[in-house]
Amino acid sequence: MSLSKKATIILEHLRKQQMLDLLNKGKRLDGRSLDEPRPLEIEIDIIKKADGSAKVKLGNSEVIAGVKVETGEPFEGLEHKGALIVTAEVLPTASPYIEPGPPDEETIELARVVDRGIRESEMLDLEKLVLVPGKIVYTIFVDCSIINADGNLFDATSYAVVSALCSSKLPVFDIQDGDKVIDTKQKQPAPITTIPISLTFAKIGNNVILDPTSEEEACMNSRITITTNSNGEYTAIQKGQTGSFTVEEIKNISEIARIKGETIRGKLKELIESGI
Amino acid sequence: MHKYFDEVVNENKMQEINKKYVLPGDVIIEGNYRPLMNVIKKNNSIIATRIGIVEMGRDGIKVIPLSGVYIPRVNDIVIGKVVDNSSLSWEVDINSCFSAHLPAQDVFGRDFSPARDDIRKQLAPGDVITARIMAFDRTRDPLLTLQDKDLGKIPKGEIVKINPTRIPRLIGKRGSMIQTIEQATNTRIMIGQNGILVVVGDDNETVSLAIKAINTIEEEAHTSNLTQRIRVLLNVPEPSPEDDENTENLQTENSLKQDVKEENDDGENNLEEDEK
Amino acid sequence: MTEQVIHLIDKDGKRTDGRNIDELRDIKITVGMIKNADGSAFIEFGKNKIIVAVYGPREVHPKHMAQPDRCVLRCRYHMSPFSTDTRKNPAPSRREVEISKVIREALEPAIILEDYPRAAIDIFVEVLQADGGSRCAGITAASVALADAGINMRDMVSACAAGKVADRIVLDVNDIEDKEGCADMPVAYLPNLEQVTLLQLDGILTKEEFNECLDTAIKGCKMVYEIQKQALIQKYFGNEITSDVKETAQ
Repeated sequence: MSLSKKATIILEHLRKQQMLDLLNKGKRLDGRSLDEPRPLEIEIDIIKKADGSAKVKLGNSEVIAGVKVETGEPFEGLEHKGALIVTAEVLPTASPYIEPGPPDEETIELARVVDRGIRESEMLDLEKLVLVPGKIVYTIFVDCSIINADGNLFDATSYAVVSALCSSKLPVFDIQDGDKVIDTKQKQPAPITTIPISLTFAKIGNNVILDPTSEEEACMNSRITITTNSNGEYTAIQKGQTGSFTVEEIKNISEIARIKGETIRGKLKELIESGI
Repeated sequence: MHKYFDEVVNENKMQEINKKYVLPGDVIIEGNYRPLMNVIKKNNSIIATRIGIVEMGRDGIKVIPLSGVYIPRVNDIVIGKVVDNSSLSWEVDINSCFSAHLPAQDVFGRDFSPARDDIRKQLAPGDVITARIMAFDRTRDPLLTLQDKDLGKIPKGEIVKINPTRIPRLIGKRGSMIQTIEQATNTRIMIGQNGILVVVGDDNETVSLAIKAINTIEEEAHTSNLTQRIRVLLNVPEPSPEDDENTENLQTENSLKQDVKEENDDGENNLEEDEK
Repeated sequence: MTEQVIHLIDKDGKRTDGRNIDELRDIKITVGMIKNADGSAFIEFGKNKIIVAVYGPREVHPKHMAQPDRCVLRCRYHMSPFSTDTRKNPAPSRREVEISKVIREALEPAIILEDYPRAAIDIFVEVLQADGGSRCAGITAASVALADAGINMRDMVSACAAGKVADRIVLDVNDIEDKEGCADMPVAYLPNLEQVTLLQLDGILTKEEFNECLDTAIKGCKMVYEIQKQALIQKYFGNEITSDVKETAQ
C-alpha cells in the first residue's frame, strides 16, 4: 500500500523564499544555473573484492556500486540471456532521516528506476552471458550503497552503476560435464553496447531545474527522470511526486535530457577512462 | 602516553595547560583540581571527555569543545523552525537532540481556545522563530517562550548553520567579533545559541561577505589571531596606534577563553539549578 | 600441519603479507567524510574499508524506548553485498547481529551515557570491503566517529586482534591467518583507563599462549590508539601540532 506521508524535510520558509526568488532570476542557492548539474567525481575500482566498483560523488550525494558475478538460472521468459540485478540501499549513514530496516517505497522506486535505465537501454549484451541456454547463465549483481544523501540519488546511483559496469572485469566461467561450472580464473570485460545516462529534473513552482539537491527536493512539486542511450534515444522515463507537468514542459525537458545527456556521457567516459 | 603533556605538567605551568589541545581520554593534569565541564575526575587525574581546548582557572578545569550537537539550556536564546503543530502547541526544531514545544497560550494569551483559534494562522511549519528556552529538564522536552523583546517570527533574512560550539567565538569578547562583522557589512546578525544564525541586510553582496566571515570563524575557531584575519577579510582597518596595542593583542589571543568563560558560567549556574 | 607452518610464516619470520609477527597492517583513518552525520570516520585497516557514521544524541523513536536516566546506544554493523568474495545477501545475517551487539558493548563503557538522558546515539558501521578483523576496525573507527560527534567519552576505544598462527603468537590476524591459523582473539581496550571492553576467542590456546596473546593484542591496541589520535589531531588542530606530538612521543 502506498500512502501520502508527511514530508520528512521541512525547509525554512526564509530559505524557500530565497530559493524561489533566485529561481525566478534563473539562479540557484548554490550558484548553479537551472540546467547545470553539480560537480561529478568518480573513483574506479575502490572495492578490490568486487568484479567492478565505483564511488560516485554528485555534489554531496555519494554512492558506491559494486559488481558481483555468479552463475544461476535465467529469468523466466529470458532463457537466452544472462541475468542482471540492480539493487540499492540508502544506508542509515546517509542522512538523519533514514531508519535502518527493510527498504521503504522510495528506496525500492530508486532501485527499480536505476535498474530500468540500465536494463532497457540494453547496456549489457546479456545474450553473450549465457553458459547453457535455458539452464545456466551469468548472473550480474550490481549492488549500490548510498553513503551520503543530498538529493538526486537517481542520477548519482545510475552513474555509479554505469561506471562500475564499464570498468568491471567479469570472471570467465566454463561448463564441464554438461552442467558443472568451472571458474577459469580468466577475466573478460563486460559486453557493453551503449552508455545510458539518466537525468533528473525537479519542478519548483513554474521552474524546472536539473539535478536537485535535497533542499530543492523538499520544495519540488514533481520530478522526472529521463534516461537516454548513446544514440540519443530515450530508454526509460519515470515521473514522480504529486505535482504534474504540461506536455510542452515534458517535450522541453526531454530535449534538454538528450543534449545534456550527451555532455555528461562524455564526461563520464572521460572520468572512467582516467580512473582505469 | 600523553607525552605532549608531560613537559608541561612537570614544569607545572598553568598558563601552558591553558589552551592545550585535548582528545577524549587525555589526562590533562594530576592532582587535586576541580572538574568543571567536559572533564571527569578519575582517581587523582583530570581527564578530558571531548575534543577541545583546556581552560584552567582558579575555580577548576574545563574543556572548551570543538564538536558536538547543541544541548538545550534554560534561558538560551535559540533560532528554530516550526515543523509541526497540534491544536494546542507547535513543535519546533531547534537543531538539538530534542525538538522543542511552544504552547499556543504563549502566543494567543490565556484565553486561548483550540476550538476558536486556528493556531496555524500565527505560525505554520517552515516558519523561523527566535525563542527563549523557558524550561528543560530530564523529564520533559524543551519548552519555548516568545515573551521577551526581540523574540518571535523572523520575517526575512538568510539562514546560516554553524557548529554550536563556535558561537562564543563568533560573538567574541563582549560582542566584539560579531559587531565587527555587522558594522563592516552593514548587516544585522541574529544568533541562536543552537548554532542557527539569520543574516539580514539589503545588499546580497554584503550579506554574502558576512556569511563568508562567519564560515571562516567556524573553520578556524581554535586558531589565534583570528580577529586580525577577519579584519583583513572584511577590509576593516587595524585599530589606530592610539589604542593600546598590547591590550589589543592580548584580547585577541585570550578572547576565545574569556568569551567561553562567560558562556560556561551560565552553564554552571544551570547545572547547579538542576542539582537543587 | 608442517605445510601450514611453512605457508603462514616463512623461515625469516615473515607472514603471508610480508609483516613481522608483531607488526600491524597499514591503518589509515579519515575523520568527517560523511557530511550529513554528526560524526564520522573512514578506516582502511589492511584491506578492510569501513565507514562509520554517528548520529546523536538525538530523539528516540519510538519514544517509549527512551530511558529516563541515560542515553540509548544503538549500533548496526552491516556488510555491503560487494564487500566479500562471494556476494553477501543484503539482509542482516545472524553474524552481523552478534557483531553489532559486541561492538556496542565494546563502546558503551567509554561513553558517558548519563549525560544524555532520554536521547539516543546511533552508530552505523558499514563494511564496504571485508578483510580479517573487521569488528576491531569497526570499533576503532566508531570511537573516532564518536569523538568527532562531540559525545562525552571517558576514553577512546582502540581495538586489535592477536592470534596463534603456525605455533607463533602474532599481532593483527589477517584474513588468511584467521581462516588457516589456530586461534584468533579480538580485543578492544580503553588505553588510558586500561580496561578491556571486548574479548572473544576462536581456537585453542594454552595458558601461556593465552597470556602472551592477550599482552600482544593490548600492545596492538596501544599502537592503534596512536593512529586514532593522529587522525583526530589532523582534523581538528591541523598539521602544526602533529609534528609536536611526534617529537615528544619519541
